[in-house]
Amino acid sequence: MDSIFLQLVVDGLANGAIYAALALAIVLVHRATGMINFAQGAMAVMSTFLAWSMWQVGLPAPVAILVTIVISMVMGAAVERLVIRRFEQGSEHTAVIVTVGLLVLFTGLAGLFWGYTAVEFPSLFPLGTLNIAGAFVSYQSLGNIAVLLLVVLGLQLLFKKTKLGLALRAVADNPESSSLSGIPVGNLLMVGWGLAAALGALAGALIAPKVFLDPHMLDQVLVYALAAAILGGLNSPLGAVVAAMLIGVVENLAGHYITIIGDDLKIAVPLIAMFIILLVRPQGLFGQKEVVRV
Amino acid sequence: MNRTIFKRRWFRISVIAVLALAAVLAPLELVPYANYQLTMIAVMGVAILGVNIITGYTGQISLGQSAFLGLGAYVTAYGVTEGWPVPLVFLLAAVIPGAVGLLIALPAVRLKGASIAMVTISLPIIADPLAKRLTDITGGSAGITVQWMSAPEWTGLADDQWRYYIVGAIALVFFVLAWNLTRGRIGRAFAIVRDNEAVATSMGISSYKYKVLAFTIASAYGGVAGFLYLAAVQYMSPATLSFIVGINLLAAMIIGGSASIIGSLFGGVFYVFIPVVAGQIDPSHTPIVYGAALLLILFLAPGGVVTLPRVLRRLMGRRTGRQQQPGGGDDQATESSAGKVTS
Amino acid sequence: MPVLELDNVTAAYGKAEVLHGIGLKVEPGGAVGILGANGAGKTTTLRAVSGMVKTGGQVTFNGRKITGLRPDQVAGLGISHVPQGRGTLARLSVRDNLLVGAYRRKDSRGVAVDLEHYFELFPQLAARRNNLAAALSGGEQQLLAIGRAFMSKPELMLLDEPSLGLAPSTAQGVYEAIAELRRHSGLSMVVVEQNAALAFSIVEEAIVLETGHVALAGTRDELMGMDAIREAYLGG
Repeated sequence: MDSIFLQLVVDGLANGAIYAALALAIVLVHRATGMINFAQGAMAVMSTFLAWSMWQVGLPAPVAILVTIVISMVMGAAVERLVIRRFEQGSEHTAVIVTVGLLVLFTGLAGLFWGYTAVEFPSLFPLGTLNIAGAFVSYQSLGNIAVLLLVVLGLQLLFKKTKLGLALRAVADNPESSSLSGIPVGNLLMVGWGLAAALGALAGALIAPKVFLDPHMLDQVLVYALAAAILGGLNSPLGAVVAAMLIGVVENLAGHYITIIGDDLKIAVPLIAMFIILLVRPQGLFGQKEVVRV
Repeated sequence: MNRTIFKRRWFRISVIAVLALAAVLAPLELVPYANYQLTMIAVMGVAILGVNIITGYTGQISLGQSAFLGLGAYVTAYGVTEGWPVPLVFLLAAVIPGAVGLLIALPAVRLKGASIAMVTISLPIIADPLAKRLTDITGGSAGITVQWMSAPEWTGLADDQWRYYIVGAIALVFFVLAWNLTRGRIGRAFAIVRDNEAVATSMGISSYKYKVLAFTIASAYGGVAGFLYLAAVQYMSPATLSFIVGINLLAAMIIGGSASIIGSLFGGVFYVFIPVVAGQIDPSHTPIVYGAALLLILFLAPGGVVTLPRVLRRLMGRRTGRQQQPGGGDDQATESSAGKVTS
Repeated sequence: MPVLELDNVTAAYGKAEVLHGIGLKVEPGGAVGILGANGAGKTTTLRAVSGMVKTGGQVTFNGRKITGLRPDQVAGLGISHVPQGRGTLARLSVRDNLLVGAYRRKDSRGVAVDLEHYFELFPQLAARRNNLAAALSGGEQQLLAIGRAFMSKPELMLLDEPSLGLAPSTAQGVYEAIAELRRHSGLSMVVVEQNAALAFSIVEEAIVLETGHVALAGTRDELMGMDAIREAYLGG
């Protein structure tokens, strides 16, 4: 096999893992509240800066990241309780605008506290690369993919095997009806946002070593993640991951082999694909179509 | 009752007259930079008005207006550089973005809520590398400078004053057009499509058709704003069509006043002056002010700053025990909200 | 002491008041019907008990005032509400729907026993326990909704038109299932129903609502003896 091809695929998978991490957070929020959180990336950037600050004052990077994940969970829950709660019953239109407002605000806050100059973020994984059948993979990419797989596994277990997961699914399906079974819907929505923010923090910590950290670090990744979440059907964590990997690989191949696209325009590939798929299959590639027999 | 209305109308007319006079005379007295800022309010007001037509009046979120503004500006830059007559350039700057908007809208408006937001946010993200790629037309990342729209000798005006009048006049025309559009049959259809598509269908109104129409008009407004932008700034680069600008235009629209013509002008004021105000402390504070203002407005006066007086009056009324109907935008004519059906 | 007591209960959607002072009493182990035409306020009465609508007046459960509580808090006290349209969690499996019903319970062994008991009673659902609830027929969804309420081991069950949208024979089957469950558990019930004949197969007493007021109240025999009731709700 062509070694360039293999390298492109491997790099695409590594990028895809990054998009997937944020896409999972978006899927979590959507499952819990039916909203698409355009601020997911900006919240993750705040978290990543927080971890960076702790690392700067001398905490080991893994500890800083773990502490940040916990703090982010609380912050995510707080955002739901203090801001989102007000708009959950309203129109989807307003909900989107609220999260866009949060996107702008959190980007601004990150800039206020940490400035707009890019800083270096420590990697959790050793430097160096591995040669697999002629393609080079960095330990960092392998580590990212491994962490991602663990997260997917953890989420599947959470949703399928725990009472909390059952309640989260119930609330996502029908909040009013769930409350009649004694499920405190408000608390679970907070949990959903908290989990998503925690996941976002993890995503940020995985991405930052590759691209440097600044307030706009995740602007593009957010768009990839949104495209992946939508392609994956918005409700399926696994679907989002597969879609994200697919996006990573396809855009790399298209960028390299289709000269008119090139490296600069490859971002158009997933977006146009998303557009087309939304039109022909609004439930996404892997989403379930809502069939309700009466 | 009658007297207060009479009083108020009389009051309003004189306020408008004074403002109009001030708008005409101001550039003769102000420094060039102030004239430039006032011109920019008109430019951004037109772009925001476009967002308002599709998002505020018709209820379809557009985060991509900056792409149409960019397209309009580049078309203008190209036409002017090639030496085409300015009226033709103007026409193309409106028609080409309008046509592109139409082509995108034909499939895109089938999508609902957040999906159409996703598609529109993609537009600047694709437009940005595209603009950087097409260096022959756009000048790439460095941008393109075009020197044009200088004051003719006979006017005796400085360039900034001349540009202010030209941009202001064109903007005024487009504000009046939007005013008429939103208050007429089409505007009512937009409002029904926004409030309840099922009702629209039952009334024989094609939601699809009106969404496509609104998106096309919004795109053309973006293009016109691009033309005006190049007139005011004389320079265009990919930074102006970035996705941040698209988001800020939507934010400014909501802050100014959703489904409100005058609100779009306030949105323009906000867009131009917030960076100035925030910049007195630190220019990097602009996004915070934007985000905070947007959320505050959504919490306190979802209809935008144009509804603040009404919201305040209602709060006062509640305190004195008077019951008042909650108000919508300032355009009550289009505010025919189809009530929720409770079974 | 009555299990449930409504005293001069009002309820409003926004500014439109739809209940104008409802009174109702359910004795322990008793079953009370709420009859009336569409829009009379039957569903709203149940929603007022569950805290799903802005409510005035007083609702007491075992002597405790529950007006103003959230739906999940009301459920936590032992009131299980099977809403109109069943409230099936469509994208969850049959089994998960039932487990959601047991959300508040801490006795996982007891939950497992009740689950098996339920599947014994309804073998057609047992066979499809891992299917999505959305794939069930209307009658099966109703049985599932009732089962989900039953799984919470309630003291009081609120049933909102269990026969809605079902074929007469299916509706009959659903009511037989309700009667069966009641025999087993001895719980109290409030049953909202348009079809009075079906309701009277379970309830001993009923109130009849008209535009948000209690128009009539009485025992089954009293009400069935009235010409007006027979004409309006029993088809002559």
